[in-house]
Amino acid sequence: MPAEYSRRAVLGQIALGGALATAGPAGHAFAALDDRPWFFLTDNEARWLAAIVDVFIPADEYPSATQAGVVDYIDFQMATHYGKGARLYLQEPFSQGAPEQGYQAPCPPAELLRRGIAAALAEGDVTAQDAAGRERYVQAMSEAQGNIDDSDVPVGTFFTELLSLTNEGCFADPIYMGNNAYAGWEMVGFPGAHAYYLSFVDKHNRPFDKPPMGIAHGEYPHTFPRIVGGS
Amino acid sequence: MAPTTLPRTDVLIIGGGWTGLTAAYELAHAGQRCVILERGEHRHDATSFAGPEEHDEMKYAIRHHHMVDVTKETLTFRNDRGQQALPMRRLGSFLPGSGLGGAGIHWNGQLWRALPSDLEMRTHYENRYGSQFIPEDLSVQDWGVTYDELEPHYDFFEQICGAAGYAGNLQGERRDGGNVFEGPRSQDYPNPAMKQPISNTLFGRSAESMGLHPFPIPSANVTREYENPYGAKLHPCTYCGFCERFGCGYFAKADPIICVYDRVKEHENFEIRFESQVLRIEKSEDGQTATGALYLGPDGREYFQPADTICMNAYALWNVHLMLVSGLGKPYDPKTRTGVVGRNYAYQTIASVDAFFDDSVITNPFMGAGALGVVVDDYNGDNFDHSDLGFVGGGYIACKQYHGRPIGYQPVPEGTPRWGLEWKRAVRENYGHHGDIVVHGSSMPTPENYLDLDPTWTDAFGRPLLRMTFNFPDNDRRMSDYVMHRAVEIAENMEHVRSVKSTNLAAVGSNYNIVPYQTTHNTGGAVIGTDPATSAVNRYGQMWDHHNVFVFGACLFPQNLGYNPTGPLMGLAYWTLHHMKNDYLPNPRPLMDA
Repeated sequence: MPAEYSRRAVLGQIALGGALATAGPAGHAFAALDDRPWFFLTDNEARWLAAIVDVFIPADEYPSATQAGVVDYIDFQMATHYGKGARLYLQEPFSQGAPEQGYQAPCPPAELLRRGIAAALAEGDVTAQDAAGRERYVQAMSEAQGNIDDSDVPVGTFFTELLSLTNEGCFADPIYMGNNAYAGWEMVGFPGAHAYYLSFVDKHNRPFDKPPMGIAHGEYPHTFPRIVGGS
Repeated sequence: MAPTTLPRTDVLIIGGGWTGLTAAYELAHAGQRCVILERGEHRHDATSFAGPEEHDEMKYAIRHHHMVDVTKETLTFRNDRGQQALPMRRLGSFLPGSGLGGAGIHWNGQLWRALPSDLEMRTHYENRYGSQFIPEDLSVQDWGVTYDELEPHYDFFEQICGAAGYAGNLQGERRDGGNVFEGPRSQDYPNPAMKQPISNTLFGRSAESMGLHPFPIPSANVTREYENPYGAKLHPCTYCGFCERFGCGYFAKADPIICVYDRVKEHENFEIRFESQVLRIEKSEDGQTATGALYLGPDGREYFQPADTICMNAYALWNVHLMLVSGLGKPYDPKTRTGVVGRNYAYQTIASVDAFFDDSVITNPFMGAGALGVVVDDYNGDNFDHSDLGFVGGGYIACKQYHGRPIGYQPVPEGTPRWGLEWKRAVRENYGHHGDIVVHGSSMPTPENYLDLDPTWTDAFGRPLLRMTFNFPDNDRRMSDYVMHRAVEIAENMEHVRSVKSTNLAAVGSNYNIVPYQTTHNTGGAVIGTDPATSAVNRYGQMWDHHNVFVFGACLFPQNLGYNPTGPLMGLAYWTLHHMKNDYLPNPRPLMDA
């Protein structure tokens, strides 16, 4: 069971570690969600993920991954169908195969993340490093081959999973608990789910500046997160 | 427990997508009692695909909720026979459907016909370039059915879809603004072409200035209020940008549910059973005919449905799988190069070209539709002189604006890192200033690319998985490289373009990879033809070995076209149904001598 603890406290520790201390906008996405337990992650896992995802999407004049709610998103995904292996064929035997053959890890994503983070933490604590150290760490992980030390976790699969989840958490509809305050959509200019452009599509070179609107009509923070349905 | 045997039906149809529902419509109206077995669930555009809930990139485009669940049915894959095939544990390169309407509800709606020369490919190339021209390692063959024979059926399906476009060849008259390379059309498209955004317009202008022949992509995204010949009412497309991978809640993208199912579901000869997974087709004692299908019903029990005639209307790959697990036809053996079921599996050869505009061009990429594009066909099929090129086939080059969904649509220029500050800046700076150009190329069959059964892994029903052995033939790598360079020339000639990036998925040195999405255009494995040694079905789609089994879909293609398959395969479907109604059913027998 996930431990009860404060997200603010966890992310505060990350900030002290360096990445967020130099970030642009003050505050972070988790302030409003304080005191809610994670669905799946432990605080060590959340802290490790926060360090990694902010290397993928660092803060500039737009929010970082953690500020956009990416850790929240990953937590929710790992706790629900996707993390548990929905739409993932898991029949044995397992064999790592060639990259062209895709995901061959012997477990669903939630277990992959849990084992991968445990193996990574056993090698040393990246959250204790400064921003440059974290970037070097992520770069090295992206180039590694085989399994993470003393585990059956293929490092390439683990890395691809982390990068994909981060991207999704920044740009998916906020009903999935990432893309906080439309951080990702505001950044690129995607207006969202309410889409009807019959009278605009051939009016060339005109900016479309309606603010983003998600499936839940902008009802956030996430009082009614929708579970991703199984199969 | 022994399966329950149900009352006999005239026609048993396996699969409720485009071809299955159309077979049911046509045969029910011809007096045949039809039963469709559909492995997925009932769903409907009005109740299942309405926005904004349908406009959920995560659920449908990334997590594939409209598509087949691989925990139930998947396949194993390897690049060559020397490798161990491993399960496709997740969907990726292609996205077969499941449920009412099949993959037909989440197609893009690009609605093409084969070229006349495509359908007689071997004969055509040998006549034009000599008998030695086609590389020896390609098992290219004629379809056994010609463009003139298929034209009325292509035309009818375009009316069913309310196709939007502009004819480039109207009864032999060439018309600029349409596809001047296409075969003659008996009539124009039922609806006018789509409106075009700036990126596609600039592409068309560039191509035209280079002496090429741009035209709007033929579209099943409908452009005005329309009623099809079955009485289905369609509405104009809203350019919502949630087309491919999504159902259309606007009734604006032609799909098998609104165009066909709604018009036949009340017919006295029509029945469809959902969550009914066909496990095996049974044969008569002499093996000459099929007697019916064993299936798993929604209650978890097995049933046997006897039938006089069986139509195989599953997705291309699952049709082949069902033949192999049922012992229908002779399986292909790559060592002896004999047998036909699993032979000539082919795919689609894709290259992409990205044009990055200066900031004066504002594309609004989220204003899109599945078939919204401007295209040139100058390098498709044999529309260009292959004499000195060293390959056969070709592809269309299209600039498309089909979505701006922000997880999937992140075009960044050459040399951009995969993450970090520089990546982040590139994503936001190019999102609204990008032209999305694709080379959609043909795929030639070889003796080493094929489908058979896997020795190790099984599906949820205990059957061996289908095993796919595939890599890009050298011919197709050369073709893709050549056409991609033509696309780069067009992109570089476009106004306001700052930089161009190109990626050939079939580049020399890279293997076919089952992870990144390419196309849901898997073809072959049960091909059509006039010679039982090289085709599983005769030119009417009838199995050579079992005359009461008719096969539909892209598994019939002897080699893959440079076009999206739905139009071409539906032309074949109506051709087969015409011959079933008028020739076979009144007098069941082999329609061709083996």
